[in-house]
Amino acid sequence: MSGTDSVTLSEGAGSMVNHPVKLAVKNLDFFYGQTRALKGINLSLYKNIVTAFIGPSGCGKSTLLRVLNRMYDLYPAQRATGEVLLDGQNVLDPKLDLNLLRARVGMVFQKPTPFPMTIYDNIAFGIKLYEKLPKSEMDGRVEQALKGAALWNEVKDKLNASGLSLSGGQQQRLCIARTVAIKPEVILFDEPCSALDPISTAKVEELIDELKSQYTIAIVTHNMQQAARVSQFTAFMYLGDLVEFDETNKIFTKPSKKQTQEYITGRFG
Amino acid sequence: MTDMAVESAHMAQADIPLDRAKALSAFKLGDVSFYWLTRISAICVLLILGGIIVSLIIGAWPAIREFGFSFLFTQRWAPSAQPTPVLGALGPIYGTLITSFIAMLIAVPVGLGIAIFLTELCPMSLRRPIAMAIELLAGIPSIIYGMWGFFVLGPFLANSVEPAIIAFFAPIPILNTIFAGPASNLSLFNASLILAIMILPFITAISRDVFATVPPVLKESAYGMGCTTWEVARNVMIPYTRVGLIGGVMLALGRALGETMAVTFIIGNSFRIEPSIFAPGTTISAAIASEFAEADGVHQSGLILLGLLLFVLTFFVLTCARLLLMRIERKAGA
Repeated sequence: MSGTDSVTLSEGAGSMVNHPVKLAVKNLDFFYGQTRALKGINLSLYKNIVTAFIGPSGCGKSTLLRVLNRMYDLYPAQRATGEVLLDGQNVLDPKLDLNLLRARVGMVFQKPTPFPMTIYDNIAFGIKLYEKLPKSEMDGRVEQALKGAALWNEVKDKLNASGLSLSGGQQQRLCIARTVAIKPEVILFDEPCSALDPISTAKVEELIDELKSQYTIAIVTHNMQQAARVSQFTAFMYLGDLVEFDETNKIFTKPSKKQTQEYITGRFG
Repeated sequence: MTDMAVESAHMAQADIPLDRAKALSAFKLGDVSFYWLTRISAICVLLILGGIIVSLIIGAWPAIREFGFSFLFTQRWAPSAQPTPVLGALGPIYGTLITSFIAMLIAVPVGLGIAIFLTELCPMSLRRPIAMAIELLAGIPSIIYGMWGFFVLGPFLANSVEPAIIAFFAPIPILNTIFAGPASNLSLFNASLILAIMILPFITAISRDVFATVPPVLKESAYGMGCTTWEVARNVMIPYTRVGLIGGVMLALGRALGETMAVTFIIGNSFRIEPSIFAPGTTISAAIASEFAEADGVHQSGLILLGLLLFVLTFFVLTCARLLLMRIERKAGA
């Protein structure tokens, strides 16, 4: 699967849509000091498709996500070898402008992380990093981002309240809005719903489904139903290996590896 | 296991409820005495504080009766004037405020910068040595700062730095009176610089500690949007830790207001108020330290009154800071 340049999926009403590769991971190894946490990973994220990463804790799925926007670079003694090609450009190139990369590859974390400022500023802050906009245009962009994250109706009357005053689910959608506002190309979700209640989870999942029409999305999740609900492709990882990577339908109905079968039926993990 | 079996057999023989009550009453005695011990310790603080205030007021009373409110607004300090001494605190008050202000102006940005460098940018191998050097800086007795300021820093500033600053600002109106010559070994500016060095470790150590409390994931999410280290520090770390930071700055300000020995060495002990920061001046604590030995009568009482003023001034500044903090809190709505 990972060798191809694009993938064709049928989407509703029998129409076939072609999805080119957005991000290609090739022979990726990752080390925490001496420990090898990822072993020769090969896979692709396709444009406008949600790819889910599943596997037991410690299998390296979050680590893989943190390689894709070089988040690991913040910490010494962590390094990656191999290639991660974003539109053909190697992300692991040490000469790459990290700030620009992270503008193209946004990330939403496990716990909501609103910045210590107002709701409005939480969104405007990211936009201001890249664009100088007059106030009226900025207002429009903030509104657009909040609408995009299905949060506008809940916060439009209190844009000047602290981002920390929102509920957990709202905070997480604020973080998504903040990520969307800077118009990335790829969005990485690292267990975005693990701290949320079922209703908020449903809202975030719905949102991810809508976002995929504009972005390439990767999501790490511990919840197999969630992976089945939101993704079109699924990667199953175990102990640093990519065991199986295929269309979500196949992974959950007739996986080709025994390990995958055992994990999704709950026999281990 | 066997121990427990033996013990339970033993307990079964004794009158269990009574035994338990006895044990409890022994604990109770300990509890009561502990309660009083801690309570008395806490009350001691209030007694000592009250005692200091009362004795300051008693000591200062002759001067208060003699000069009244004019003490606050008189610049002249002439303890041996005839027929009666003339004492005014305006010079020392001005000196105290201005040196502390300049010291904070220098030390706060530098201290925050060091703390950000240590938590965000510094290679691991350098972190401990730099942090230790800063803590050592805090441990140096103030008399050593004073001597160093007098023999080394003062002459260096007067010969090399101040003439350049004076020449630079000479053509600019207003600023040329603030930075007016002549350069001097003993001046408000030198004292401010020494004060800045002395309070730097406080600001650095406290801001480093509070920066360490910023959740890594919060910083990551800011970096994840493509922020530079400066943007993360300014927009995420400093707002997130502002309460702790202001606390550290207040502690440093308290130290700067009351610092005596080093300042006495290098400020020049002049009660005249000059517009230039390169002119000599004095602070409240420096005035007390340099005159207390040969003072008596109203002069001595005047110095005690100065001490009382420093007490009030420090209290006032710290209260203002706390109010400011509360307002920021309310505005941030956190």
